This record gives sequence, structure tokens and C-alpha cells, in this order.
Amino acid sequence: MTTTHSKGTHPTASTIMDKNPSVLHPTDKISQAVECIMKHRYRRLPVVDDDGCFMGVFGVTCLLRLVLPKAVIMDKGLESAAYIRDSLSDLHRRLKEVEDEPISLCMREEMVRVSPDTPLIETLLILYKTGASLPVVDPETGKLVGVISYFDVGENILAAEV
Amino acid sequence: MDHGSEVMHMVFGLDPQWYAGILFALTYLMIMSERINRAIVSMTAAGLMVLGGVLTQETALEGIDFNTIGLLTGMMIIVAITRQSGIFQYLAIWSAKKVKASPWGILVMLSLVTAVLSALLDNVTTVLLIAPVTLLITDSLKVKPFPYLFAEIFAANIGGTATLIGDPPNIMIGSAVGLSFNDFLFNLGPIVALLLPAMLLPVYLIWGRHLHASSAARQRVMDYNEADAITDKRLLWQSVLVLALVITGFILAHDIRQQPATIAMFGAALLLLVSSLPRSPGEQSKNLEHIFSRVEWITIFFFMGLFVIVYGVEKTGLLEMLANRVLEMTGGDTALTTVSIIWTSAIASALIDNIPFVAAMIPMIQNMTGLPGGADGLMPLWWALALGSCLGGNGSLIGASANLIVAGFAERAGHTLQFLRFMLIAFPLMLGSIAISTVYIYLRYL
Repeated sequence: MTTTHSKGTHPTASTIMDKNPSVLHPTDKISQAVECIMKHRYRRLPVVDDDGCFMGVFGVTCLLRLVLPKAVIMDKGLESAAYIRDSLSDLHRRLKEVEDEPISLCMREEMVRVSPDTPLIETLLILYKTGASLPVVDPETGKLVGVISYFDVGENILAAEV
Repeated sequence: MDHGSEVMHMVFGLDPQWYAGILFALTYLMIMSERINRAIVSMTAAGLMVLGGVLTQETALEGIDFNTIGLLTGMMIIVAITRQSGIFQYLAIWSAKKVKASPWGILVMLSLVTAVLSALLDNVTTVLLIAPVTLLITDSLKVKPFPYLFAEIFAANIGGTATLIGDPPNIMIGSAVGLSFNDFLFNLGPIVALLLPAMLLPVYLIWGRHLHASSAARQRVMDYNEADAITDKRLLWQSVLVLALVITGFILAHDIRQQPATIAMFGAALLLLVSSLPRSPGEQSKNLEHIFSRVEWITIFFFMGLFVIVYGVEKTGLLEMLANRVLEMTGGDTALTTVSIIWTSAIASALIDNIPFVAAMIPMIQNMTGLPGGADGLMPLWWALALGSCLGGNGSLIGASANLIVAGFAERAGHTLQFLRFMLIAFPLMLGSIAISTVYIYLRYL
């Protein structure tokens, strides 16, 4: 993991990232992952393999994808679902059907990421556009080196000298 | 045909027939390989047809059938607006509940809805609207979606055969030959009405009789409230009214002396106008951008390039030569030529895109002036081409754009439609439909 800045003392993604984020593994069961994000109120967590390489993220949107009818969430799927009358039990039943499957089945693989050397403002712009925590990945090794959340950014800004 | 009367200024003194012929063959090979997007291929080849000297810019533009282009674009705009109202989801849910959510009843009803919508709209749009609802219903019923999607593919291609606007080959044939909406409906409507139940019978025997759903699952479908599918009642009525006006316009086109493209484009403009009235200028622009983004520009540009390429080949006299060869082979016999066309079109359309195939066949048939009966004598050939190319699309997953759209949906829902599995059942069924159509054409026209 590198924390040096590419341009002198200019801050980068590594300046503000959480260097020890909670992670999930692709073989974790969906039930375990759901329990984890619900217990700690995580919006999403990075998924890494045994070598620590970044593979994707699993979060509340994945959970919603699992409980909603596929026809609603698929690309070019139904534009409206107002007439569907599924109950909370129906949603729970859908989740139960896949709870023993690994999270690799439903994690999001296509993910915006930054490198530790991405300049601070560029990182914040990407964070702003993405609207969720950003994985920081070493571009050479593919390993996850940290995560940047809105709260990390807020804490760092407030702690900075004016 | 006026080819030969024009002087072609070919680059490097190349032979126009060889140049156009090779360019034509390469274009079709590239389209079949699917390595490069078909619109890019056809636009590039059209450019080379002009730059090579076979056509001038003026003659190239003459070759583009703007009646086809206008009709396609107009209908795409109308559908893009209409779908925002939720009417298509309403129809699908309503039809499923009408049969009390019985699995086989739903398959029949969704097939009928697909066939009727395909006759009035284009097939791709129809399956884009119906396939997701189908996957929702089969998910609720806990039944496999394959039989439903299979039947819908067949229903879309069969239903689209019935009208001028139902399938691109019909639009092209109708425009080139001057056949009206009514001509298609009266000549192909009866056989379509026969083919639909004929398709459902094997579907029932193979899958239908084994389809079962629990009462709880059926209740889930019955609990859908189709009225909630309508998201904009005002737009719904505007769309239905304009769509009805446009269809009426097609039916009366001959009497009011208007071309289908004018009717479709004016319908599109009218619907854009009435649906935009309550919006602010800013909202209108935003909505218009959204509607126009729904127009399948790839298809439109593909068509335009294709028309130029085929026109170039036609100008060199190559297609007339090929037409004469075909007539030599069939001995100038109308019946034999007709049967050859329907079967060749069907097999070719199952394996390659039927649009470029029909684009090349139209001028070839127009050149078959050696057949008895003049222009009227060619009518069985046109119906054979329409039936062969539209129904042939059922033969494989790549036979028609609608098939690929359904396959895409199935895959995204985790139920991959396998190419061979589909073809093993679809190809014989398609051949059966062509056999029935051949008998129909023979009894009615020959």
C-alpha cells in the first residue's frame, strides 16, 4: 500500500481513505453478507479474493436486486411496477431461495474505482458522481488498499487547518 | 429499367458490374459475420458505391425508399410515446387475468396479444414490450418461461406477416410495389389467422399440457392490478386515438391518395403535438430528446445504406441478369418460380437477416418481366416473398431481430434460450408454416 503523493505534498485518494475497511469474500453466503450489512448499516462493502484483489461490491442495492422480480430490475425491463402486489413475505421468500448461494452470484463487478494516487479533487468529483463509497485499488496489483466514504471525506475536511 | 442508358464514371476504369457485384457480396458477408455493426457496414458500402462511380449522389438518393424510412420512423415515434402510457403492460396483465391466470391460458393470450400488436406495430417493439411482462408472470407462476417466449417469438413473426406495417420486409415490398395496407390484410390476413392456431397446437403438445401452477402462484398474478399499469391516462387516450387514426389512414390510404409514410409521420407529429401541449418549452425539448432517442437509428441508417447498395447493383444490370437466370431455371413457370421464392426466402431468412435479403429480392422480382400476366402476374411472387421472409425468421434465434431481443431478455432473467435447442423445435415448425403457406398460395393464386 502506498501513501506517497505523486505531486509533492498534494493530497490524493490515499490521504483520506480508510486503510482498514471491512470486506466480504466472493465465497461468503448471501445470508451472511446480508446480515453483515444490515447489522452495521453499511450501504455497501468491497468484495476481495484471498489475495486481497478487488472483485466488486455487495450492498443494499444487491439486496434489492435479489428480492425484486427480475423483470423489473433487468436492463430494458418493466418501466413501471405499480400493478405488482407482492407482499413483504413474497420478497423474503425470494431472498430465502438464494440465501445459501455465494455473493459472487449477485455482487456488482463493474465498479468505479480510484487509485491511491488519484488527486484529491478528482477523487471527490468521482465520489460526488458515484454517490457511494469508493474503493481505492492499486492499479498494478489490483489489490484493494482502502475505501473512501463521505464520512472519511467530511472528517478529513473538518480536521484540516483553515 | 433504365440501366445502361447512363454513363458510369468508374474509378480506375473498373467494370461497374464487377465492382458493384463484389461490393454487394462483401457487404452481405460483413453483415452476416456481425463483426461490425450492420449500419456502419451499409453506410460504408453505400459511400463506396458512390465514390466508385456506380452512382452519383443524386442517383444514390433516388435509390433510398423514403416511404419505407418515413413509415418506420413515424411508427417508432408513435410507439415511443404510446408506451409511456403503460397501455402495453395493461393489455398483457389484463389478458393474463382474463384466463384466471391459468398457465396455458396465459400462453395463448400472450401469444394472441403479441400477434395482434405485431400486426399493428413492428415486431421488435412488440416483444420489447411483452417479453418483460411475460417474465414477470412466469416468475410469479413459478413456471419455465421458455414455452412462453418461444410462442411469443412465433406469434410476433406470424402476426407481423399480416399487415403492411407488421414486419420490415412487408414495408419494403409494399412500398416498392405499391401494395396497400388492405392488400396485405386481405391477402395475408387469412393465412396468418390459420397459422397462429397451427403454431399453438405443437406448443401445447410439447409444453402446454405439462404446464401447472399452484393456486397460490396463480393468485399472485390475479392480485396484479392492471389499472395501475396506466401511468398517464391523458396520454393513453391521446395515443390510442392517434394510433386508431393512423391505422384508419393506412386502410383508407388509397382513397385519400396518401402514402403510408405521410400517414405515419403525420400521426407521429400529431401525437407529439398533443402530448407536448401541457408542457413548458423546456420540458418539451427534454421529452422530445427522450422520444427521439427511442427511434432505432441503427435500423434507419442500415436501411438507407442498404437501399443505395442495392440500387447501385440494380443500375449495373446485375440483378436483371440474375432474375433471368432464375427464370431460365424455372422455365418461366409462375408456379415453380413462386414456390422457389417462398422456400428460398424462408431458408435464407432463418439463417441471415431478412431485410438485406428482401432488399435484393425486390428488384430481382421486378425484373422477372418474362413471366406471363405482366405486373399482375408477379403478385403470387410478392406474397411468396412476404410469407417466406417474414415466417422464415422463426427458423432460428438469429432469424429475426425480435428473436434476438427475446433471447436477450431471457438471458438477463437467467433463462438462456439455447440456439440449438430453439432451432431443433423452431426450424421444423417454421418449415411446417411454409408448407401450409405454399398450399395457400397455390390454391389462391396459381
